[in-house]
Amino acid sequence: MGSIFADAIGDFRDGLSRWRVWVALASEDIGDQHKRTTLGPMWLLLNYLAFAGTFILIFRRGEGIPHYETYVAVGLFVWLYMSEAITQSVSLFVREENFIKGTTLPLSVYVMRLTMQSAIRGGYMLAGCLALLAVVGTSLSVGWLWAVLGLLVIALTTPAAITVFAMGGAFFPDLQFVVQNVMRLGLFLTPIFWTVGSGGGVRRILADWNSFSYYLAIVRDPVMTGGIPLTAFGICLAIGAVLWLTAFLLMGLFRRQIVFVL
Amino acid sequence: MVSIRVKDLRLIYRVRQKLSLAPRKHRMAKAGGNIHGTGRNRYVTALDGISFELKAGDRLGLVGPNGAGKTTLLKVLYGIYPPTSGSVEIEGRVDALFNIRLGFRPEATGRRNIELRGLINGWTSDEIQERMDDIIAFSELGDFIDLPFKSYSQGMAARLAFSIATSFKPEILLMDEWIGAGDEAFQEKARGRMMEMTENAGISVLASHNNTLIEKYANKILHLDDY
Repeated sequence: MGSIFADAIGDFRDGLSRWRVWVALASEDIGDQHKRTTLGPMWLLLNYLAFAGTFILIFRRGEGIPHYETYVAVGLFVWLYMSEAITQSVSLFVREENFIKGTTLPLSVYVMRLTMQSAIRGGYMLAGCLALLAVVGTSLSVGWLWAVLGLLVIALTTPAAITVFAMGGAFFPDLQFVVQNVMRLGLFLTPIFWTVGSGGGVRRILADWNSFSYYLAIVRDPVMTGGIPLTAFGICLAIGAVLWLTAFLLMGLFRRQIVFVL
Repeated sequence: MVSIRVKDLRLIYRVRQKLSLAPRKHRMAKAGGNIHGTGRNRYVTALDGISFELKAGDRLGLVGPNGAGKTTLLKVLYGIYPPTSGSVEIEGRVDALFNIRLGFRPEATGRRNIELRGLINGWTSDEIQERMDDIIAFSELGDFIDLPFKSYSQGMAARLAFSIATSFKPEILLMDEWIGAGDEAFQEKARGRMMEMTENAGISVLASHNNTLIEKYANKILHLDDY
């Protein structure tokens, strides 16, 4: 078991040391995705604003939540970041087949390439989110520092989640479509534009048993209330630890086999 | 001192029946080479009983029909495929010349593509800058180097790929077919560069179907059979 983890850690160490490769490739990827457009990657920001604006306009009255704009703006930003990273990760190794079969780059380079892509996309969405918060007059407080810590927890969990889903997708191709559908439904089953309220019911069950709720909470709650959601932080850290353990285990067990299954 | 020692090398891999919701008859991945077993337990023997030793100055030619395992052996030596059993001991840095167009970005300029390919090859920023002028000069691209790669003709693209791929001084060089590029004049220049590379490399291994080339190039020949 020790050698499995040592193998995985070695791959990640090697991958991290080649940061210039994945930073360069991820930057090119984002540029290529918006090639020949006038606004380029600014479309990422505009897409976010269009999405958030639509949700706010349509659901504001029905929900009756104080600072509803802030609630949706932050929640949607976190959701879109996680949703895109997970959806893209399932087909990661399949997309990188030529590289995996033609170079000796460690697998973690591809994991970090996608992590970097997600971070760049997230950066543009964050700019849109902050602009929206400024427009609706959300007041800045010291509590926002907890939101920054929440973002850090999410960022540090991202490579682990990508590894787990990428490994799953390599061995189980149908996972790509399972995940796509789950994430589509997740937009509605996660408290992004609705709240639990004071009662129980289906919404309470969905919020309590949906792990994404806690990732939203560690960023959104500090911005909304200035307080620190300790329980949510604890759950997210625990999920992160499990994901990293699983990622190391899968990487150590299967990283040399990936080349044979693609 | 560079050396390669391969003893009783065997590469067998399982043709995994992917976990899938597809009907059972559509599940099996495509496979080549020798296939053993049925159902979930299908295995391909890609290499079996390969042994050889190379020391500095050796030029090994790999010959054999399609599917005999020439490329697979090169990929084992390069570290892409892990051997199932036997041992592969290599001293020296291994560089490979296969799939030389891998990673080229159509939207990026030739210069940027040199940087990206250099990073993929594991070159440092200093090494990339050191080799940049030589690569541009050898490729004869001139001012085109700062235009997007997609604007290049096929010959220009091939020249750039060749120039990047052969711009280093390898200790151990692996080649899947002799590579060349461009028009007749450039082909001649490319042949010179290839000869220089293989002569300067401590050890080189070439897989090819061209027996005349192999006889001219190699001082050792390994026949691989599709059994």
